Amino acid sequence: MPIEDDLFDKLRIELRRGALSLGVLLALREERYGYTLRQVLEAGGLPIEEGALYPLLRRLETQGLLTSEWREEGRNKRFYRLSDDGERVLAQLLSEWDAISRSIVRLSEGNQ
Amino acid sequence: MDLIERYLAAVRRNLPADKATDVTAELREDLLSRIEEREEALGRTLEKEELSALIKDSGHPLVVASRYKPRQTLIGPETYPFFIFTLRLVLLVVAVIIIVSAFAAVAFGGADPLESAARAIGQLAMYSLVNGGAVTLGFALLDRNDFAARHVRSWTPDALPDIGDKRPGKWEGPLEVAMTIAFLLWWTGVISLPFPPGGNDFRIEAAPVWQQLYWPILFLALARLVHNVIQWLRPRWKTVRMILGAATAIGALAMLPVLYAAGEWARVVPMGMPADAATALQDSLNLALRIAIIAVGVIWSLGCLGELWRLARATRERFA
Repeated sequence: MPIEDDLFDKLRIELRRGALSLGVLLALREERYGYTLRQVLEAGGLPIEEGALYPLLRRLETQGLLTSEWREEGRNKRFYRLSDDGERVLAQLLSEWDAISRSIVRLSEGNQ
Repeated sequence: MDLIERYLAAVRRNLPADKATDVTAELREDLLSRIEEREEALGRTLEKEELSALIKDSGHPLVVASRYKPRQTLIGPETYPFFIFTLRLVLLVVAVIIIVSAFAAVAFGGADPLESAARAIGQLAMYSLVNGGAVTLGFALLDRNDFAARHVRSWTPDALPDIGDKRPGKWEGPLEVAMTIAFLLWWTGVISLPFPPGGNDFRIEAAPVWQQLYWPILFLALARLVHNVIQWLRPRWKTVRMILGAATAIGALAMLPVLYAAGEWARVVPMGMPADAATALQDSLNLALRIAIIAVGVIWSLGCLGELWRLARATRERFA
């Protein structure tokens, strides 16, 4: 792989890392289990491997941003949704995301 | 299905015990959902190879399990710069001690150069591994205790040295500290030289004067250690450093005449060597040491004058 592609991939992963947490929090305003959450994220343009998604869900739950419960629905599934703290943090993160987005737009316009 | 259970069992073996059941249940559910989706799309059950490929996509069991562990690294990025600095320093000191000891064994102990070189290479490998391992383990423990983050938080730019100060090189400060610690450990008998001084048919012992000067030398080395640590880590504590520097230089100079007056600093004990050859060797060894003591006296005197001059200049500047 050329160095430029390799470098781009690394930077892209860094850029997406924070966005994925935000995407997961957004998608979990509605209750979902892991597999359907992954489908929603993929359909929304944020595909994530299951090996990365489930540990992320655990971390967000440990941080108090998500709640989860096991429920029988065909098979036994673990359903996640945003907690009250998660709602508050999500609102703050969205505001931060908007600010970053506006800054990037301003900077890119300034360079033209 | 047997393949799925084997995969989940392999993941489970590497998971933290308190999460194992929960995590494997969730991974099983995800795998089954993916299989269902794939079979629905194909309109048939999956072949063994297709199932194997789908499981492989989930990741190596060790990697999957590691993502659930609270720590992903042995030494985190904040601690790493401190770790690598200390590791290099420790390995440098180990190398210096072993190489100097090997040269000393050849120069003063009559050891065979090739044999000494081979032994030194072996010791370099062994001591580097042992010390490297100990440093790594120490920093892994420090990292768990938030050491680097606390150090970085408590750091202030005010503690940085003045640009005009004579700064020792990057390695000079830590190397001096490490060598002084190594000397103190040797002097107090905690560690011994890798090569016992002597040859096949004789050994070299310290003359009684060193026993007489045991405490003064220990005290001076400790004071010098404090001085070196301050010079390295607290360069802004100039007055304390200069007072300690001058005091240790004067103390060492005061001790030198007692040492010189002893006239004998090393004894050669024959172990099969003819007595007259041992006496001749002892005489030449003591002659070399006499010259060395005179040279050290001259160097220390100049150093002492330098320290006193710096202390006087600093005092004058302070009260100017």
